[in-house]
This record gives sequence, structure tokens and C-alpha cells, in this order.
Amino acid sequence: MATESTDELEEFRTNTSWLYDTTPGAYVRHAFTAASTALVAVFVLGPLYWMVVTAFKTKAEIQRIPPTIVPQDWSIQAFVAVIESSLQAGGYDGFVERTFGVSVSSAIDIDVFGLIVSSLKVSVGAALLAVLFGTMAAYVLSRHDFRGKSVLMSLLLASLMFPGTAIMVPEWELINTLGLFDTHLGLILVYGAMTSPFVVWLMKGHFDDFPGSILDAARMDQCSPFEMFRYVLVPMSVNSIIASFIFAFLLAWNELVFALTLLSNTKYTVPPGLLTFVQGFNTQWNVVAAASIIASIPVLLGLAYIQRYFVQGLTGGAIKG
Amino acid sequence: MIALVGTFILYPIARAIYSSFFQKSLLRPEEAQFAGLANYAEIWGSPTIHQVLWNTFVWVTVGSGVAIVAGFMMGWLMYEKLPYASVASAIILIPWVLPRVVGASIWAFMFSGSQGIINELLVTLGLTQEYIVMLGSTDVSLWPPIVGMIWRLAPLFALLTLTSFQGINDRLYEAARMDGATPWEQFRYITLPLMRYNLAIGFLLMLIYNIRNFSMIWVMTKGGPGVSSTTLPVMIYRQAFVDFNIGMASALSVLLFLVLLVFSYYYIKVYDQVQGETNGN
Repeated sequence: MATESTDELEEFRTNTSWLYDTTPGAYVRHAFTAASTALVAVFVLGPLYWMVVTAFKTKAEIQRIPPTIVPQDWSIQAFVAVIESSLQAGGYDGFVERTFGVSVSSAIDIDVFGLIVSSLKVSVGAALLAVLFGTMAAYVLSRHDFRGKSVLMSLLLASLMFPGTAIMVPEWELINTLGLFDTHLGLILVYGAMTSPFVVWLMKGHFDDFPGSILDAARMDQCSPFEMFRYVLVPMSVNSIIASFIFAFLLAWNELVFALTLLSNTKYTVPPGLLTFVQGFNTQWNVVAAASIIASIPVLLGLAYIQRYFVQGLTGGAIKG
Repeated sequence: MIALVGTFILYPIARAIYSSFFQKSLLRPEEAQFAGLANYAEIWGSPTIHQVLWNTFVWVTVGSGVAIVAGFMMGWLMYEKLPYASVASAIILIPWVLPRVVGASIWAFMFSGSQGIINELLVTLGLTQEYIVMLGSTDVSLWPPIVGMIWRLAPLFALLTLTSFQGINDRLYEAARMDGATPWEQFRYITLPLMRYNLAIGFLLMLIYNIRNFSMIWVMTKGGPGVSSTTLPVMIYRQAFVDFNIGMASALSVLLFLVLLVFSYYYIKVYDQVQGETNGN
């Protein structure tokens, strides 16, 4: 990290930056930098912008050729459609009509909020499972030496590479044999297994860096290894634990393949549910966009928290900065 | 934890290898017949598999290649030129964390034949005369998902680059400047050597994420038309859950598995080297 740099050095770096560049050819370089930055910004943010404006367009406007860059009449029609179809598919239309006197009828019959509830259930379950087992395993792997440890670590790292399409068929057979097909429990177990290696890597890095003096102090106070884990390590690692929880949660929240194969459409989570929106000849893209935005909110909230752990976690803690 | 991973990750891998030797239908799994290497022979002899393997190759090399180059540039821009790089790095993460289906649907919409913005852009720029049905054309249907995948992966590589730039001690540059090193020499002799492990890890990650990807293609084209945008994972899904041919799907899984094994082997090797160096110092 650049933490060692003094103010002087910091100043030196700022002054050599392009704003103060007076050497020949500076204008060309400025223009090049500005252009490439703009290009990157458009490429990265363009699709996101498009999703947001599409969600606020009317059904008539999304079919217009050429497409409008900025919606001409902003409308929450698409969001209303998502909410209405949820109420209808979830069977709350009668309730709403009696209570608010508003009749709900929707051409789309997809319960978006039901999907979100399913997803929350599965993701929270999987993340709890992964954090519980992953943290304990990380503790053991970090504090004890035993035969085959490096093999085990490699195996965990390798299993990070493999989940997904390569094992979906046997996974389907396994879940079927266990009688867990079309249950959220089955998906929780699969996701828990898939994400716990992640948690192990994240938490092991944290435990490895843990100051030994605190552990020594605890040992002096006659703590058993379990007590040490429970009363010293865990409370002092809350940040990392929350980060790995969100990590595991996001993985489970976004996963498509297993949700598609291990559930039937009545129990779908968000990813396969959104897919049913996209399918079909006459896709209502403004509704898809609105549903996508609603489904992305938990992810974006999580992102705010784990941002600094993200790269570290993705590379298995390989890059420590 | 071991039991969980063992049951749901390692056992299925073994199971896939075992199933790949059987002629087996998803609808009647009890009527499985031992078929030896028949599935593999069929894969070897089938014309579609060549197309699929070629698609997979193009998908992985072009997708990862562009993502790596673009990502490196983005990371460098953020480090050298951009104030508030941390804000930018938070924003840049959005494509990566957004639910994959969401990202893929945005791109599917943008590429769609009649209402898509991409076609309009191409026409405005004068590159084509009329709208192309990109997702439904055998000639180009592989490319829209590649663009989507680059959008998803390049920011990740940019962040890896940014972190490794930040990990390099400024004093090294200061010393190099004192010795009269040009910016290119500084880059060549300080930046690149110090970043090589991070770059190698990022490179392997890109390959692995790319070859594993399923949702981008499935949401956008379903691998079609025909097999024109089918990669190995998509073909496995089709064989298993559309054609109900488990034996064949398992054999393909083993194939994919072997490819991934090679990548993972190198990943772990590079990783161990990094660990060795950081522990050694």
C-alpha cells in the first residue's frame, strides 16, 4: 500500500499528473486520456443507464424506432405492472380490492415479490451455512498443522473453480435421490457447499493476520481452544464474518444454473424467474427492466459494504495490496 | 464442512465421471446401460461438437483477451489519471455484482433486432444500412454474448490491476526517476515484474470465469440458432435437460472438467508461488 508515502511524495505524484503536464505533445495525451476515459465510462455505465431509462418508459415508447435516449414521458407503468402481477400471482388481488378498493389485473402472471422471498430464503440459508462451517474450518486450517493440510487447501481452491455447469447433472441426480428436488432446502445445501470454500479462504486470511499476542493473553487466562474461538476470535472478526456472509449471499442470490435445474417454476428464485420474463416473443422490456431493478436492490446494498473485500475475496486472498 | 463440500461438490464430480460411461436417459434413469466409451466416441465423431468446441475456444480467447486488455487499461486510467479512484472502483463493480441474469437481459434488450439500441447505433454510425437480427443469425449470434461478457469481466480485471498498482511502493519509482528511467522503462522494469503474479492470477480467473459462464449465453441466445452460439456448458445443459441424455451430458462434463483442471492446476501453482514469496519476505 501507499501508506508509507510522505506528504512530499504524495505532492510529487500529484504534480506529475496529467493536469500539470507541460511537456510537448501534452494536448494529444490529454485528449487521448479523456477520450478513453469517456469510452470506458460509456461502455460500463451505458447498459446500466439503458436499463434505468427503459424501466421508466411506457410500453408504446419502448417499441419506438429509433429508440429514445431520454424517455419522453416518464412513467412508472412498468413498476406498477410488476407490483400488480406480483399481487395477482401471489393471490393477494382479492385482499387489495377489499382493503383499498383498487382492482388488480395484470396480463403478466409472475410473482416478483414471491421470487424475491424465495431468493432471500435460499441465499440467507446458504450464507448462514457457509459462514458457520467456513469460519470453523478456517480457524482449524489457520491455527493447526496436520498432514494433508496443503492438499486440503488446494482441494478447496479447486472446488471454487468447478461449481456450475460441469456438475449440474450429477447434482440433479443427487438432489433427486435425497428427495430434495424442488425444495429450497436442496438449493441451500448446494449453495452452502459451493460458497463455503470462498468463506474459508476469506476467513483464513483474516485469522492468519490475527495478532498472536491477543491469543497468548487468552491462553494465559485458561481459555480452551473453543472458548478462544467463541469469545475472542469471533467477536473480533465480526467485520470479516459479515463480509463473507454477504459474499456467500450474493453468490447464492445470483446463481442461475442450479436454480433452473433443481427447482420447478412454482419455487423459482430471482434469476430463473427473471429469465421467464425475458423469454417469449413479445418481451415487455420495460417490465423486465423494472423487475431487474427491483431484484438488484439487495445486491447493490451489499456491494456498498463489501466493496473493499471484493477483489481480495475473489482471488482467494492472493492479493493483499 | 468437509462433508458438505464432499457430498455436494466432490461426489458429483465422481458421479459425472461414472455416468459418462452409460447410455442413460433423464426420464428413465433406471434403464441405464453400460456403454463403455460410446459417449466419448460419439462426441469425437459428431460434427456439432467441433462447432461447439470452436465456439468455446473463440468465446474464451476473445472474451478473456479483450477483457484483460481493456481491464488493464481501465485499471491504469483509474490509478494514474482519475481522482476519486475509490468511488470509480465502487461504480465499476456494478456490472460484476449485478445478478447475471439482469446483466444478460440488459444486453439482450440492447442487441434485440427491432427495439435494440445497438442496431440504431450501428446505423447512425453508418456501419450497416439496416437493422440486423443479431441474436437470431447464425453468423453473428456468438458475438453479442461475448460483448456482454467483456462488459462483466473487464471491470473485475481493472480492479485487480488497480490493486496491484496500489501495491507497488512509490519509492521504487522515485528511485528509478533519480536514475533517469523513462516512463516506459519504469513500466517495463518495475511495474510489470512486480505485477506479474497478480496479472497471472487475474488472467487465469478470467479464463475460468469465462469458460464456466452459462447465463450470459443462455439468456441472450439459448445457444442458438442451431449451435451457432453454443459453448460447452450450454451444450451440457441442452443434452441433459432438453434432450434428457445424461450419459452424453456427463461425458461432456468430464471434458469440461479436464479443461478446468488444467486451468486450476496453474492457478494453484501461481497462487502457491505468491504465498511462498509473501511468506518468505
